[in-house]
Amino acid sequence: MENAWLIPLFPLLSFLILLLIGKRLREASAYVGILLTLASLVFSILVLVERFSEPTYLEQFTWLTIGDFHLTAGFEVNQLNALMLFIVSLVSFLVHTYSKGYMHGDERFPVFYAYLGLFTFAMLGLVLSPNLLQTYIFWELVGVGSFLLIGFYYYKEEAKAAAKKAFIMTRIGDVGLLIGMILLFWQTKSFEYSEIFASIEAGAVSQTMITLTAILIFIGAIGKSGQFPLHTWLPDAMEGPTPVSALIHAATMVAAGVYLVAALFPLFSASETALLTVATIGAFTAIFAASIGLVQTDIKRVLAYSTVSQLGYMMLALGSAGYVAGVFHLMTHAFFKALLFLAAGSVIHAVHTQNIEEMGGLWKKLRLTGPLFLIGTLAIAGVPGLSGFFSKDEILVAAWEGGHPVLFLLALIAAFFTAFYMFRLFFLVFTGEARGLQENVHESPTVMTLPMVVLGILAIVAGYVNTPWFGTFLGDWLVDGNEVLGHGHMEGPSWIMIAATVISLLGIYLAWLIYGKRTIARDWLSGQGGMLHTVLYNKYYIDEFYQLTVISVTRGISYFLRFIDTFLVEGVAKGMVGFVHGLGKTGSKLQNGQTQMYGTVAFLGLALLAFIFALTGGYLK
Amino acid sequence: MSLDTLLSYNWGIMTPEFIILVVIALLTIFDLFMPKTMDRKILGWIGLAAIFAAMVTTASLAGGSVESILDDTFRLDSFAIAFKLLLLAGAGLVMFLAVSHEAKEGLENYKGEFYYLFLTALLGTMIMTSSGDLITLYIGLELLSISSYILAGIRKNNLKSNESAMKYVINGSISSAIALFGMSYVYGLTGTTNLLDIAAQLSVLMDSQHVYLLGISFLMILVGLAFKLAAAPFHMWAPDVYQGAPTPVTAFLSVVSKTAGFVIVIRILLTVFGAAATEGPGSVPLLLDMQDYIAVIAGATMIIGNVVALKQTNIKRLFAYSSIAHAGYLLVAVTTLSSNMFYSIWFYLLAYLLMNLGVFAVIQVVAGKTGSEKITDFAGLYRRSPWLAVAMGILLISLAGFPGTAGFIGKLNIFMGAFATEGHYVLASIMIATTVISYFYYFGVMTQIFFRPAADTSKFHIPFGILVVLIITVVGSIWFGIFPNTALDFMHNNLNIIDDFFS
Repeated sequence: MENAWLIPLFPLLSFLILLLIGKRLREASAYVGILLTLASLVFSILVLVERFSEPTYLEQFTWLTIGDFHLTAGFEVNQLNALMLFIVSLVSFLVHTYSKGYMHGDERFPVFYAYLGLFTFAMLGLVLSPNLLQTYIFWELVGVGSFLLIGFYYYKEEAKAAAKKAFIMTRIGDVGLLIGMILLFWQTKSFEYSEIFASIEAGAVSQTMITLTAILIFIGAIGKSGQFPLHTWLPDAMEGPTPVSALIHAATMVAAGVYLVAALFPLFSASETALLTVATIGAFTAIFAASIGLVQTDIKRVLAYSTVSQLGYMMLALGSAGYVAGVFHLMTHAFFKALLFLAAGSVIHAVHTQNIEEMGGLWKKLRLTGPLFLIGTLAIAGVPGLSGFFSKDEILVAAWEGGHPVLFLLALIAAFFTAFYMFRLFFLVFTGEARGLQENVHESPTVMTLPMVVLGILAIVAGYVNTPWFGTFLGDWLVDGNEVLGHGHMEGPSWIMIAATVISLLGIYLAWLIYGKRTIARDWLSGQGGMLHTVLYNKYYIDEFYQLTVISVTRGISYFLRFIDTFLVEGVAKGMVGFVHGLGKTGSKLQNGQTQMYGTVAFLGLALLAFIFALTGGYLK
Repeated sequence: MSLDTLLSYNWGIMTPEFIILVVIALLTIFDLFMPKTMDRKILGWIGLAAIFAAMVTTASLAGGSVESILDDTFRLDSFAIAFKLLLLAGAGLVMFLAVSHEAKEGLENYKGEFYYLFLTALLGTMIMTSSGDLITLYIGLELLSISSYILAGIRKNNLKSNESAMKYVINGSISSAIALFGMSYVYGLTGTTNLLDIAAQLSVLMDSQHVYLLGISFLMILVGLAFKLAAAPFHMWAPDVYQGAPTPVTAFLSVVSKTAGFVIVIRILLTVFGAAATEGPGSVPLLLDMQDYIAVIAGATMIIGNVVALKQTNIKRLFAYSSIAHAGYLLVAVTTLSSNMFYSIWFYLLAYLLMNLGVFAVIQVVAGKTGSEKITDFAGLYRRSPWLAVAMGILLISLAGFPGTAGFIGKLNIFMGAFATEGHYVLASIMIATTVISYFYYFGVMTQIFFRPAADTSKFHIPFGILVVLIITVVGSIWFGIFPNTALDFMHNNLNIIDDFFS
């Protein structure tokens, strides 16, 4: 573990090498990136394995002296870090491999790999940081990396706008983080996690201050993790290349917000209000984003809203004091969402469109992508036996046990939505007739399918490290030696698991009725004739019933929420920008080039100062 | 004064000044006798050598005790050494720019003057850092100002350059007059111009009438010097002057001249008003009472500088406003008066020197090639010259205060200072908010460089001097962002500014 600091350096090395000689290497750049991230992955696995048996490792040195304060820098390997290192380096490695096929033929191939390296470096550095300041530095670097990657197709106007939006929206959150961090420093005289937690435990920080700093830091997490109301950048960020979406929006950047809250969990758990805020924002985002996902027609946008929604789940878990549940879902989500994005990339690679209305019937043509996408869909929908099922169940239990019945209900409905829109996506893309021009549709090369297979396996089995049936290894290990984090496993009423299963199956069933139905009905009619007419009628009836009630209401709600999203949230943002620009205009108008004007303004300024001085009485007493 | 006393002085502490002075004299004579056709660049290189020699001697003077000569008018303390090093480094980099400057029009005949006027201005700033007396302070200030006026207008046949110089003279004179008027009050109250004597007398000030007068004098000095810093609302000359002056001169004004401005502000405010009692000996010093006035100017400067920068289309005007904004951040450090103030201001000025001079080096190359100074000229720079673009990118993120760069550490220092003393929250919030605003224009330039197609694809020729400046500034911006302690440790170990300053 003492060599853990090497892990982020491999991708950095890749970045530097490709920056210097990438042009000469051309597509061979991929091997540099892949090999170096593989090195990171191997080290991460070693560190993770070592951490199972050994205590937390911390090493730091004085980095900067400001007045009487000594700021430190270093790295730490605790359970959370070790797990994150593994997740990040694994997904990054797989994305590096996948991109070799996906980006093949791109003019700026080496640049893409260089950016990937930079981004991976930043994310791994973030994860290893033992103090807030260092975290903040890498946090910003992650922002720069994502800016470059999202804007990679810089000749596309949308990509440029999306990169800028992602950068600025997350920056707004970062300001909250920075203020919270400074306030915390001011109170505890340290940026180090361990010392901050020690001061809080010792009661050196007032309750209001804990709440305030926790919420300010949470604002940073809101920005990075695309929580309401700073989520709008995330769907737009889909303009980046698809492997980037898998990397940024599944396992790394957006997970950084959740990671931050988890890493600072002792701070959050010291304040009821802060936890409640986290839980509420999380639950609201989960249902809010899921309902928007119901009506999207762009394959990547559906996944983007689904990401926002799933991140909401994690926040809900953390806010309900379900530390293990949140981290657990972070892990399983990283696998199945990366899988879904890569599979979506494979689909896009095959049909050259992102509009699901123009797809359909791809199951037979993409013999590998189809089943893998189905695995991801089943996992995210929470079908029993797959990873998403176990982690989602943990979250629901945590919400229920945490005493938030309303939030629990919201999460349950969101689970229903999730199952529904994910299968809507699946049926529209893979079943039925081909609706668009689909020529030369072929399966992606092995270099792309192989990473998907790895993720597919993980999406199935990753849940078994923490189940109520076979033991909660992950949970017990995560909280080992740290009581503030709560229990390794929460005992909840067993009906929650049943309810979650029923809900998710209901969602799938409904999706099938609406989007898969037509195919089946046609088969049915051709095979059975008019025999089951009544049954068919009944089914139709149910369909209409749902169409009239559930679907139209949720559609209405989701359109309404989208309306709020476009006009209210963006409107406020635009208003602020407009105000600042107006101020700038006035300022530059005064600047008319006349020297006498400048003199006048200066004398007026002096007169004003003197006037205030006279008015306040100065020192004449 | 007899010859004996004159000879008994320790002239050694003035070595850096003497080096510069002698070289100025030599350059003037060389220029006079050199054949008209001969390239004057050699003068620039001699000037550079002089600056380097002065830097080495200044550094070698570090660590000694405080010494003063000439009736305490010239003093060498740690403060003087620390800031002299900054000024010399800045002037050295500017000299590199000047040597590589290929003017399109109207400079050829005056190239000799170009170099030694930089040196006289530099000499002025050095005298300011070492002044123990209002008179020498003012002389230094005027030496700097008058040299700068001529420099701004050195392209005689260029209308913009003329306008720039004219505006600078008028505004500069106004500011000098106001500051001098303020100083006359101080002299009137104490009957001396020596800073330490003034401090001693004012520290036992009892009469509230006198304190009132002193308050007015404080405001006038503050306003007069705010001109030099280009702090709002006394900043309006800056964009016009920066735009019209040749690029190396603009770089000099925005970095060296500004640094000197902060030197004189700290000297006068801290020594004179930091000692002045408000209600008899031992009472709250006047400076603490007047903090709010500095705070208002700091806040206004940050807001105006950053907000108006959003609307600029000319790259030099943009950086004029950006430099106004940076003066605002520095004023925050002056306002808070934390124990760490000297170090945070020094470090910020160091970071600012690196990133701003680097940016002006790039501007000089790009504007020299295209002949105009529009921000859109930077479109597609990444395509045309990737290295130049990457260098500019690094300097811009340092200016924006991004973690991992010297700009970030500088801001962090100031920011922590604002919290260390009894919370200047409002000022700190303004600082953060305006920093966020600044991303828009810095990244606007970035967008041009990296994301816009180039109008033409011809490559850039990067002269040797520019290359040196770019390497130093880019490496420095990153180095001091990652290892800030290398600079701060040197300060802490060799220079004890706080103890020296008042003795």
